[in-house]
Amino acid sequence: MTLAESGLAIQGVRARAGSFELGPIDLDVGCDRVLAILGPSGAGKTMLLETIAGFRAAMTGSIFLGDRELGEIPPEDRAIGFVFQDAALFPHLSVRDNVAFALRARGEHHYGQRVDTLLARFEIAHLAERAPRSLSGGERQRVALARALAAQPELLLLDEPLSALDRPTRDDLRSVLQELLGGLGIPAIHVTHDRDEALSIGDRVAVVVAGQVRQLARPHEIVANPADETCARLLGWSELGVGNLDQGRLALGDLVLPVHDRLNGWNGPVCAFYRPEAVLLGADATGISEGARFQAVIDRVLPTIPLTRVALVGRPGMAALLLPRDLGRLDIRTGATVEVVLPSDSLRVFRLTGA
Amino acid sequence: MIDSRATATQLGAQGGGPGGMRVRASARRAWPSGVFQALLWLASGLLIAFIVLPLVRLAATSSPSSLINAASEAEVRDAIVLSLQDAAITAAIATLLGVPLAYLLARRRIPAPGLVQAIVDLPLAVPHTVAGIALLFLLGRTGWVGAPAGHLGVSFYGSQWGIVAAMLFVSAPFAVNSARVAFEAIDPNLERAARSLGATRAHTFRRVTLPLGARGVLTGAVLVYARSIAEFGAVVIIAYYPVTAPVEIYNLFLRSGLAAASAASVLLLIVALATFLVLRTLASGRWLWIADRDPR
Repeated sequence: MTLAESGLAIQGVRARAGSFELGPIDLDVGCDRVLAILGPSGAGKTMLLETIAGFRAAMTGSIFLGDRELGEIPPEDRAIGFVFQDAALFPHLSVRDNVAFALRARGEHHYGQRVDTLLARFEIAHLAERAPRSLSGGERQRVALARALAAQPELLLLDEPLSALDRPTRDDLRSVLQELLGGLGIPAIHVTHDRDEALSIGDRVAVVVAGQVRQLARPHEIVANPADETCARLLGWSELGVGNLDQGRLALGDLVLPVHDRLNGWNGPVCAFYRPEAVLLGADATGISEGARFQAVIDRVLPTIPLTRVALVGRPGMAALLLPRDLGRLDIRTGATVEVVLPSDSLRVFRLTGA
Repeated sequence: MIDSRATATQLGAQGGGPGGMRVRASARRAWPSGVFQALLWLASGLLIAFIVLPLVRLAATSSPSSLINAASEAEVRDAIVLSLQDAAITAAIATLLGVPLAYLLARRRIPAPGLVQAIVDLPLAVPHTVAGIALLFLLGRTGWVGAPAGHLGVSFYGSQWGIVAAMLFVSAPFAVNSARVAFEAIDPNLERAARSLGATRAHTFRRVTLPLGARGVLTGAVLVYARSIAEFGAVVIIAYYPVTAPVEIYNLFLRSGLAAASAASVLLLIVALATFLVLRTLASGRWLWIADRDPR
């Protein structure tokens, strides 16, 4: 079995730090594949990467990279590239020496050409002689990526590399990453707490919460069908509230909503979520037969970007996300009464935990 | 003052808005603004004066000719050279042995790090004469280490080895603690990054940890050096001979009085301070009168 066939395979890995326990985790990432790990702070995402990289010992389980079992292999022999949130560039070395670090550590002498190629590839050749502290956050992460790739890793681990960056730099570097990871020919894991980042960079997305993988699926699948309430929240679903599900109809506040998701015929208390960008208002709501239809008063219109948030008065309270250009067309004003349709396929219910 | 504060609070409560907040904030100023600043400077000035004045007074007692006289005395000269030499040897040993311990402590890769740190700090709490007596028990002719060493022809009692041992005991904490603080300030992710790039533990230490902690290591060595030159209590017990500079000055004081001791004292002070300042400047990479770029 070669690396090209097998990539990374994590089986039943558990690790512990103080009272926090990670796992058991089972994951695999094929070659040329990017797994995005999405989760809130403190979910154990970084800990998982540290365990894979060998910075932290696993209590049980095994990690295979290609046909190698990584168990007892020290970090320096694992051939795993690691990009840290704060880049972790060596402050006493120039950009060039940072990138050349791995090659020097191996005792290579003729690395100039390769370092130059990497510097050019990440558009940092003009920074080659600069000290890391003089670089911007985005430049630092470019250096960190070049440095990690110089070692020719067989797996790339990215620990929230975009989190500390401002918005434009983040978007810029995100596209650099997308392009890079697709063509590397090695598996990569990208950890983030940013939904958009996970969905745009990962071939598959794993939601990790409290040390456990809650869900693993392709981006569009995971958005459409979150496994539980936590996944739903992380993936942009808004909570509608707690209601009662009976024969495919959800009674919640003043509304009775038809529900596609029948929870295998289960009836009882459920927690309901909806997609605010799927809510139809005014003229858009006319002629739609599928879903729940009701009237509501517009409470507030918040000019958020890229979608404007329209909060509706009612029981339950709801919000719709609209393109700014639709506000005029649909005559959306604070205090106005509008027709609202909540399509059934944008409503999900979960059995109330403990019920 | 109490009255004005109460009024201000009422005003603040009535105001409610940002204006009210401002009134309340100024009411918290219990002292006129200059008083706190003045107290800071006064206390600092008193302490600085207390350190500098005795030394200035000492320097004022001696004339250039008396210093030349003192320097021309072979006993004084030999004692000062011996002190500098043994302090340098001690600084080298303390650094060689202290840096590994400092690293293990900084990275908590040692069992019971709290206990080990307490042991490292122990010499700071042991009176130096007590340290000398304890060392004599261990390193003296019949001691656990002294007896076998004697068979090999190494004697600590009344020898340079004894002087170095005494200096090392009292100054080792400076080497360990200074390096430890420097290592602790290094982001562990830098070492992890190096490991992930294929560097072994040893290579990582040599290429990342040590260069980044070099200032702290050097500062530690300089402190050990300075502390060792100054050591009297432990040295005088384990090795009265050969005579180090502090012991020689004590002898002069007992034999010939204050005036005779002062010239040698000033000479030692000049030599010790000059080497200390030069080494400290080298270790910290900046001159005394240039402030830190980023104050902490």
